[in-house]
Amino acid sequence: MRQVSELRSQLNPAEPRLLHIDLNSCFATVEQQARPSLRGRPLGVTNRLTKNACVVAASYEAKALGVKVGMTFGEAKLFAPDLIMVETDPPKYHYVYQILVGIMRSYSPKITMKSIDEGVIDFAGTELVNNRPLPEIGYEIKQRLKDEVGRWMTCNVGIAPNRFLAKLAASLHKPDGLDLIDHTNLRQVLAGLQLTDLSGIAERNQARLNAAGIYTCLQFLDAPAELLHHRVFRSVCGDDWYQRLRGWEVDDFESATKTVGRQFVLDEMRPTEEFIRSRLSYLCETTAMKLRYKNLCARGVHIYVRYAGGDYWYERRMFKSTFFSNAEVYRRATLLFNRRPRGQFEREIGISCYGLDPSKLNQVSLLDEVNREAWLTEAVDQINSQFGEFTVTFAASLSAKGTVKQKIPFGSTRYFELLCNRA
Amino acid sequence: MENMNIINKDVNIVAYYFHNRGRRLRCYPKRMEWGGRSIDFTEAGLRHPTKKGQRMVHVFDMSDGSADYRLEFDAEALSWTLVSIAETTYAPSFRATVTA
Repeated sequence: MRQVSELRSQLNPAEPRLLHIDLNSCFATVEQQARPSLRGRPLGVTNRLTKNACVVAASYEAKALGVKVGMTFGEAKLFAPDLIMVETDPPKYHYVYQILVGIMRSYSPKITMKSIDEGVIDFAGTELVNNRPLPEIGYEIKQRLKDEVGRWMTCNVGIAPNRFLAKLAASLHKPDGLDLIDHTNLRQVLAGLQLTDLSGIAERNQARLNAAGIYTCLQFLDAPAELLHHRVFRSVCGDDWYQRLRGWEVDDFESATKTVGRQFVLDEMRPTEEFIRSRLSYLCETTAMKLRYKNLCARGVHIYVRYAGGDYWYERRMFKSTFFSNAEVYRRATLLFNRRPRGQFEREIGISCYGLDPSKLNQVSLLDEVNREAWLTEAVDQINSQFGEFTVTFAASLSAKGTVKQKIPFGSTRYFELLCNRA
Repeated sequence: MENMNIINKDVNIVAYYFHNRGRRLRCYPKRMEWGGRSIDFTEAGLRHPTKKGQRMVHVFDMSDGSADYRLEFDAEALSWTLVSIAETTYAPSFRATVTA
């Protein structure tokens, strides 16, 4: 275990070699780029054009009027009566994402996409190729984005010695800003920020810091490692924050996939049993597709139901054998789903698979029925890949096919290709 | 909400092709014949490829100054489809209001 005394207590004096790119209000800006008549107008992007669907992205014009991401359409209309809402269009965002990745790869092989609209370029080791100052490269990236996507596209660029400070730098002057944070101006930058401006510090962490007498970012920076470790975060998270704030890298890791799943808020206030089963069947199919897309098979199923009254029920079970096919996911999910309490109307259902292992599809089984299932799944996948997803599907899923739409993933982009095939 | 009209009809398109810095020719629709009318596009929004099964379809968001048009070009059948038209009868532009 790492000792507190081993932590690096001085500011990182290294030259910044990380460049963080963040597309400004990505979905809304892409929509405005695509449709010139929407430019300069308050625009919201939502997953479903209904009154209670929430805004997943708002244009800067809408944000200026008080519209925030997460508001329902009804709430947003109170702030901006002329707000225009459009539905998400994943292939468009995927196109811009691919262009962004292409631009980033042209500078360094070591890039990390943090989500659809932001990524980090690590310039370490590329000094011979990129011998210009990073701010100059940052301005060039901004221009290339405009040239390759369109003149309405803007992005923020942050340059710093570690990922956390690079992201912070990219959030300082929105939209279309470029900032650099290093050991020479770190204290000056932190002095102008509130604790919640730091990525990773929201209400609860702020309350923890406040309870230890830390109210400003500079106090956070000057706090001793022991205090952060033992009193504020009560874990190694305190050590990480101690180093992160000083410009040392602690966030350069990739997390493995632990669960694969889908959830859906029902589009019917008083759903019948048949109606719910069709949605569940569809969710199971898409979950199994995700599993196979990642070349995984699962052993466990977790299912939950949220009721109209606010009650929540879930059940999970680990099975002896692994599974990957649509039918098996649905069969096992139904086993659990049939045990749910009745009496209230369901509002939301969700399913996820866990206990993930690498797929065993390449290995022919000794059991004939397992082989038949694998071959059938493979054949159906090939037909769907040739003629479009859900060309061959469960009869039970048919009514859900046009209704349950794939939403835009905010965090990971690991299923983006799959999502775009389906859109 | 949006004032989007779904059309999904085949249309005739006159397109320009530009050299794209040594890469493949870049196509932009210039004029559309539809419903007995000729529509001249004045601005291109975004052109992005997408797949329908194995077929590659190029989506063009175009504008003639009074409405936004979504066109699809099927790269296999070499046919153009007018997918939708969004009328732009919105309130005055926010930026225009601020500058005024």
